[in-house]
Amino acid sequence: METIVNKIKKITYKQYMLYSILALCCAVSVFFVYHNYSFYERTIAKVTESNLEHSEEILGRNNNQDYLFIQQIVAEIKNGNEKGQNIHLTNEYSASGAYDQEYHAGDEIFVSIDENTAGNTELTGAILDVKRDKYIVIVAWIFIFTLLIVGKKQGLYSIISLAVNIALISYALDVYIHTSNISLLWICGISAILFTGITLLLVNGVNEKTYAAIVATLLGTFLSLFITYLVIMLTSANGLRFEGMGFLTRPPYVVFIAGLFIGSLGAVMDVAVTMSSSLFSLYEKNNTISVQALKTSGIEIGKDIMGTMTNILFFAYISGSIPTLILYLKNGSLLTYTFSINLSLELTRALAGGIGIVITIPIGLYTALFFVNRKRKRL
Amino acid sequence: MNTLVLLTGILFILMVLIGGRKGIRSFIALFLNFVVLLFTIFIMLDPTADPIILTIIASTAISFITLFYISEVNSTTKTAFISTVITIVILIFFIMYVTEKAMIQGFGEEEIGELYIFDLYIGVDFVKIGTAMIIMSAIGAITDITISIASPMREIFHHHPSMSRRDLFQSGLSIGRDILGTNSNTLFFAFFGGYLALLIWFKDLSYSLGEIVNSKVFTAEILTILCAGIGIALAIPITSWITSYFLVKRREKN
Repeated sequence: METIVNKIKKITYKQYMLYSILALCCAVSVFFVYHNYSFYERTIAKVTESNLEHSEEILGRNNNQDYLFIQQIVAEIKNGNEKGQNIHLTNEYSASGAYDQEYHAGDEIFVSIDENTAGNTELTGAILDVKRDKYIVIVAWIFIFTLLIVGKKQGLYSIISLAVNIALISYALDVYIHTSNISLLWICGISAILFTGITLLLVNGVNEKTYAAIVATLLGTFLSLFITYLVIMLTSANGLRFEGMGFLTRPPYVVFIAGLFIGSLGAVMDVAVTMSSSLFSLYEKNNTISVQALKTSGIEIGKDIMGTMTNILFFAYISGSIPTLILYLKNGSLLTYTFSINLSLELTRALAGGIGIVITIPIGLYTALFFVNRKRKRL
Repeated sequence: MNTLVLLTGILFILMVLIGGRKGIRSFIALFLNFVVLLFTIFIMLDPTADPIILTIIASTAISFITLFYISEVNSTTKTAFISTVITIVILIFFIMYVTEKAMIQGFGEEEIGELYIFDLYIGVDFVKIGTAMIIMSAIGAITDITISIASPMREIFHHHPSMSRRDLFQSGLSIGRDILGTNSNTLFFAFFGGYLALLIWFKDLSYSLGEIVNSKVFTAEILTILCAGIGIALAIPITSWITSYFLVKRREKN
């Protein structure tokens, strides 16, 4: 009895420590992003006053009605030589706000200061961008606390695996950029093995179930990638509009295949874990269960998850294009042109991921069976 | 032959081979969801239509198709459906607030170069469109987690019909915790894959850390990941509570 009480005390003490450390980190980091002006080379100003000077209704090229506003802003400079002085800025923004926005008192912005040639005492300048770092930090903390409160230990592991994966991907890309002779596909292949190992061991624990899931994930991912690659080769990428891809500093084809590879990895892992965990739990409940019965249950489970899993990837990929699609269509672009240029690559990703998900169901089933049988023989 | 057509064909054949009749239904549901999404985008072109309300309606339709068409209408899919819609509605207001505050709507500096031929003043509210985009990216994952919790909860209740609501709620939470990691990973990796080009871009053009974390494109993508993660986590207690409430209520009625 006493040991149990001690155990509870110990656990709560540990949790208490963890939460106080987190609360401290949270407070320090939030304080930091609100006071980190001196770390920036670009000049930052905080809006203290904004006045609407002018507003007009405009009619665009395709009869799109919008409103344009001009506001006069006074902002206080927060860093650099002019720290503490006021700067006067003009901001032009529209009601739709595709590439502009209204500023309110309290907003922090990056500005450039005009050279003072006329001998004015007032500083003037132009708005460059918004200081957004604090929102990332605040939402990241909300994310961390939500996951910890809801998910407890598993939530913590998800956060750790997310952080490790981000660090890994960033490091892998550094390696890619600084060594010209390694192919991006090789780097992604090696990273995929590391991602799978680290994530599954963290999320699922060190046990036979995890080993089965790792093997199934790797087989599933590489097989689905091979199929997609083959299809693209056979059809000579007919219908894929690589010019629709943004942010290109490298050959689009390689970047696309690499992205497709990493993109389907998470979904394939999910399927592999579900298959191996459920088959192992069936076996643990009943050690004498026949291979046939396991197979039947495995396929049933696979059928259940197939629909929702393919849906996840589908929406994650396609939804990102919504603003661009609206911009194209509102500008009177043709429907077929708009869709082929904005959706062909996203659909390919979703379809390739879907193939990965479906193909991992039998792969996961047979890998889990292999590991279950191996365990059975050892007994 | 067109690459997309061949890939679609392969996916269809695999789904039929492995999933049988349910595979066919899953494939049709995917197609129907695509139609709902495109239809929603068309209505969003009308500046008088509120994208937020449209998104809520579209999400309802999408989870309706995913849950009721692939599976069937029963108490499990019903509670999963209600939980999905509630999670989406809570999440949508949070995301809209974040989008507006962080000013991540529309297009970033890095994207605008390619879009210069377009008229940007098109009269639709890009804050709301941005919110719709984030919600829609997570809708698949949220539907998945609600059904994955509601379904085993019913099994547990079936085996232990005298369970209290509190215990049932706790078991729902623990099921949710077990799938939280892999479910959020599915989404995170999907986003990583999509953002790979952007990450290489930042590194190739040697952006400083300060420039990266304040740029609109990067902030928008990080916030999408975080908001989707928050949504998945929130769906766990919501689904557990609603499922336990309905199961116990039905028992009391009998």
